[in-house]
Amino acid sequence: MPKFDPFLREVIKYAFDAIADNMALTLMRTSHSGIVRDSLDFSTALSDATGQTIAQGVCTPMHLGCFQDALKNVIKSFEDKIFQDDVFIFNDPFAAAGQHLPDIYITSPVFRNSRIVAWATALAHHSDVGGIVAGSNALGAHEIFQEGLRLPVVKFLEKGVPNKALWDVITLNVRTPEKVLGDLQAQIAACKSCEKELGDLFDRYGVETVLQYADHLQDYAEELTKSEIRKVPNGIYCFTDHIDGLGENPQPVVLNVKVIVEDETVVVDWEGTSKQVPGGINPSFPFTKSCAYAALRSILDADIPNCEGFSRPITVKAPLGSLLNPKFPAPCGARGITGYRMIDCLFGALSSAVPDNVTADTTGGSTLPTISGYLNGKAYVFCETFMGTWGGTSKHDGQEGVPHMGANQSNVSVEMIEQDYPIRIKQYGLVPDTGGAGQYRGGLALMREYESLHDSALLNVRSDKRDFPPHGLFDGKNGKPSINILNPDNKPRVLPVLMTEVEVLNRGDVFRHIMAGGGGYGDPLKRKPELVLKDVIEEKVTIAGAKKDYGVVIIKNAEEFMVDSSATKKLRTQLAV
Amino acid sequence: MSYKVVKRVAADIGGTFTDIAAVTEDGELLTWKLPSTPPNFADAVSTGIDALFRKHSIKLSEIDEVLHGCTVATNAILEQKGAKTALITTKGFRDVLEIQRVRVPKLYDPLYEKPSPLVPRNLRFEVDERLDANGRVIRKLDLHQLNEVIEKLKKEDIEAIAICFLHSFVNPTHEEMVETIIKKEFPECFVSISSQILPQKREYERTSTTVINSYVGPPVSRYLSALIQKLKSSNVTNRLTVMQSSGGVLDADSCLQKPAHIVECGPAAGVVGAEYIAKRSGFDNVITLDMGGTTAKASIIEGGTYTLADEYEVGGGMSSSSALVGKGGYALKLPVIDIAEVGAGGGSIAWLDGVGSLKIGPQSAGALPGPACYGLGGERPTVTDANLVLGYLNPKGLAAGTVLIDKTISEFAIKKEIAEPMRLGLLETAYGIYSVANAAMMRAVRAVTTYKGRDPRDFILFAFGGAGGLHAVELAKSLKIKKVLVPKAGGVFSALGLLYSNLEASETAPFLSLLAEVPLQAAEQLFLQMQKKITKTIGGDAEKITFKKFADLRFQGQAYELNIPFQNSFLNEEELTNLASSFEEKHLTRYGHAFSGEFPIELVNLRLVGVKSSSMPELNHATKVSKCKECGRKAYFGPDLGLVTSRVVSRNGLANNAIEGPLIIEDYEGTCIVPPDCKAKLDNMGNIIIEIPDN
Repeated sequence: MPKFDPFLREVIKYAFDAIADNMALTLMRTSHSGIVRDSLDFSTALSDATGQTIAQGVCTPMHLGCFQDALKNVIKSFEDKIFQDDVFIFNDPFAAAGQHLPDIYITSPVFRNSRIVAWATALAHHSDVGGIVAGSNALGAHEIFQEGLRLPVVKFLEKGVPNKALWDVITLNVRTPEKVLGDLQAQIAACKSCEKELGDLFDRYGVETVLQYADHLQDYAEELTKSEIRKVPNGIYCFTDHIDGLGENPQPVVLNVKVIVEDETVVVDWEGTSKQVPGGINPSFPFTKSCAYAALRSILDADIPNCEGFSRPITVKAPLGSLLNPKFPAPCGARGITGYRMIDCLFGALSSAVPDNVTADTTGGSTLPTISGYLNGKAYVFCETFMGTWGGTSKHDGQEGVPHMGANQSNVSVEMIEQDYPIRIKQYGLVPDTGGAGQYRGGLALMREYESLHDSALLNVRSDKRDFPPHGLFDGKNGKPSINILNPDNKPRVLPVLMTEVEVLNRGDVFRHIMAGGGGYGDPLKRKPELVLKDVIEEKVTIAGAKKDYGVVIIKNAEEFMVDSSATKKLRTQLAV
Repeated sequence: MSYKVVKRVAADIGGTFTDIAAVTEDGELLTWKLPSTPPNFADAVSTGIDALFRKHSIKLSEIDEVLHGCTVATNAILEQKGAKTALITTKGFRDVLEIQRVRVPKLYDPLYEKPSPLVPRNLRFEVDERLDANGRVIRKLDLHQLNEVIEKLKKEDIEAIAICFLHSFVNPTHEEMVETIIKKEFPECFVSISSQILPQKREYERTSTTVINSYVGPPVSRYLSALIQKLKSSNVTNRLTVMQSSGGVLDADSCLQKPAHIVECGPAAGVVGAEYIAKRSGFDNVITLDMGGTTAKASIIEGGTYTLADEYEVGGGMSSSSALVGKGGYALKLPVIDIAEVGAGGGSIAWLDGVGSLKIGPQSAGALPGPACYGLGGERPTVTDANLVLGYLNPKGLAAGTVLIDKTISEFAIKKEIAEPMRLGLLETAYGIYSVANAAMMRAVRAVTTYKGRDPRDFILFAFGGAGGLHAVELAKSLKIKKVLVPKAGGVFSALGLLYSNLEASETAPFLSLLAEVPLQAAEQLFLQMQKKITKTIGGDAEKITFKKFADLRFQGQAYELNIPFQNSFLNEEELTNLASSFEEKHLTRYGHAFSGEFPIELVNLRLVGVKSSSMPELNHATKVSKCKECGRKAYFGPDLGLVTSRVVSRNGLANNAIEGPLIIEDYEGTCIVPPDCKAKLDNMGNIIIEIPDN
């Protein structure tokens, strides 16, 4: 093994990170669909010739490590039939080690002196890939064939020449061809930017040096991860969490995890989790691994490179045929919800190992409302990832207006939605008294109301945490459960958490979604009365809520709120019994 | 002593120092540096001007303009000490300001805390009213509710109000109605409305910008009035012009209408100064790099002009990882010079991570205790300590010996904290710290170049600030830049920039249409309206203002626009073609592809910028080459070149012909390093020009 200059490694690492980030910037700025350009549901990676990830853009944590299995499959499938300026495309979880059908991978080899030296890959969640519901995330699908266009690994461009037949097939099979093709081109542009920048790096330091340092970076990341794992006390940490279940009569889906920390390795074992379900929430196994990596990475202190070396000390197991390692032809379209729950469940387990490094449970990942229809004969599909709020921590209250740890996504501007779709947003804000009570309060729930401005639009909703609301930690209370209501002000009707049948919206129909509130951290009776007072002044907690949940008596004198200290003391003593 | 004439004087206030600068009629630069005087920052301005003028026997009564850059607006936000501000917004949307855009600036961090909103929830009031996306009123403004809100505002002792309704950029009627009523009912309150501050789509960005404007309004107003008073009582002119974040200046009164425009004026002035010097020295494409004690800031001058940022957030600190995630501060969507900042400077601390790998910053030793070599108690090695150990800095002291240092403390700190745990030699380690610091600083340069599709090879590197000359050549090597420029007076660059700035104002108006179908007359009409507003803002003689037109364009379906300058002075069929091809060209450079012909181009905003040039004597920076005492010092240039005895010279010891490295050029303002494989010379503006032949 050659002697490595530790400083040059740091310098080259910066360069790799910059390349992956630059790909992400290119994709973000040139894409067409709201879900990519505004919600930012995508990831980019630079990999070596064998498919090991060298660097991943600062994008979606849940995609951490999701490139390696897929790329190794591409390399194995095509071997010596890979040429310069080839661009591959795929999405199938079973045939191509993909994620779910809306996540389309675009990958292209980087050549130097007639041999492959690296791969550039961009993965984006597309607005539609066909199937029984618009947006291609049907919760009610029973098999993957109902979920849309399945793409094995195929050449989208061969030696730079577009495979026209394939472009035509895609155009015909998706509801929003302009957006899908626009996003695919943005993905290709991202890969091109990687090729150019990597070339510059080769020019500066030499191909062999850069490649050797890329290998060396993997070892460094592995060592750094191990040294971080050593800081976590050895032990077996278990937790059970749930997804509410599908449709009108939901049966709880159980997630059961055992995290075994032993010196410098971690095993994440999902034994005891429900069997795969006849609905689109089964994640492919590569996704199950990614979510475990993301959760573990979040409780480790150091800035570890996003490369394959990070995942080496971590083993993830899930029984074949279970929810988290399903067999063909399990539907996967809406499996994101299961990803969020895996991370929540892992944080639940890790809270007893590293109580100061986690939050009480969060709102549970994005609610995914899809409203679609035809206007003047043309299909429209509105879909957004709606987030979010966190639980309290050992140091501060739960944050409000934040993404799930698994996906750093944005909200979509109300003014953009109303300009682009026949939809009006009637309300968007925080709901008082919904944060789990605690010494550190859980974040308030977020609410959004959508009104349809034309007849026969179709509504499909993926949400969660109504029957199993976000848990509190260390005597903190649970957050308030989520709810889906149709026409809240006029013959209200509650809709299922995870809808397996679409709902028809006519002009003037209003759909209200309230997410769950974050869990509280620590005993609410220990919360400082002045913090409760501040919450009351800011209308985040009501006077009644302060009394009931925190034992703090607040009185209103003229326009001024104040704490009644003696009444509070008395009430808190009573409640403590 | 000869009699010197000065018409304009500049005063730039920084956190630690206040810089005063003036240029005489025959082009001589006069400067004065003194400690800032918080909280009465105006004191240092008048004291400094007085001191400078006394030194050079200039009469204060001759000045007809004071140019000013200050940190009062930024500090109000950073320290959350702005006005008590209320927000009035559309019913159902008061939490837009607090929810922001949801994304967080750091991944994998469950302990992240969002900055608290500038207006707390109980001071965000909702009023029933609603427009649709086309600006049609679908619910009338509820005046009864509005009156109730105003009553509450009065009880709360509100100092400033921001008004932002949904879709108001299409139809401002409701916002204007509320503004009129509030001005009548509550005249002492500072009011801003979003349709005037930022008439653009996206409610969070518009609300946030309007709130910032109100939040900084009262403190900026108090500060500027105090300064004007102070200048008056010191017999200096009361004509005060203030730097904007966009790089132009406006007189104090206009500035008070839109105070949010001055938030980033300090760094902006530095870039303006660089633009002036670069132009005079014959360089059009320049990467400016300002390296100070805690941060490195990069910006771009392209085709002779600086560039504005697409997006900007104030008050969130530096992005930890990349340009991808925002800074986690408050969105401010006004013209701001595009400046990227990373937490790596001379005072940045070097440390080892869990497996003994070297990291630099973002923690900094600051001014106190400062780098270990200051001997003021700092025990952890900094980048400055590494530069000292490498022989780059004069072991006798910094700033021509005025700051005393001790090299042995640096050696001890580097050995103990880094070299021994890594089992490496002292010099090797110090050079490692130097290299990793360069890699960190490079991220700032990348953020304004490669991240935006620009090739650094097309630029020269213009390095100023205390540490600029020490790192510039190595950075240039990594970026394949052939030429480095280290200007004279690098320590007072923002003040210099103020002197050479122009009066400038801009207006932006939404104008959504397919580019091919733009109603030409209506567009020109809009430009005319904007022109009137700008003329009023800039004031004085309208004919002396030159106008530049811009269009914000995108391919239909995209969410982000590119700002494209007009080639002709008015909009006609030919200009539409020009705009389309310039847009496609820029899209191609920026992103590597263009959807030519596949997607129609859409016009989103029209933008007009008015500039009124100031008449300033050109700077005469020519430096007399003089023989001076030379000595030699050993400096380490990495494992390949090793320890080399280098000539130590002062700036005016350089010649107009290039001298071969290794050289150490010591200036009062800072030190400049020329490695053995490079050459340095002085140009006719007194700039050090370093050529890197092998790049």
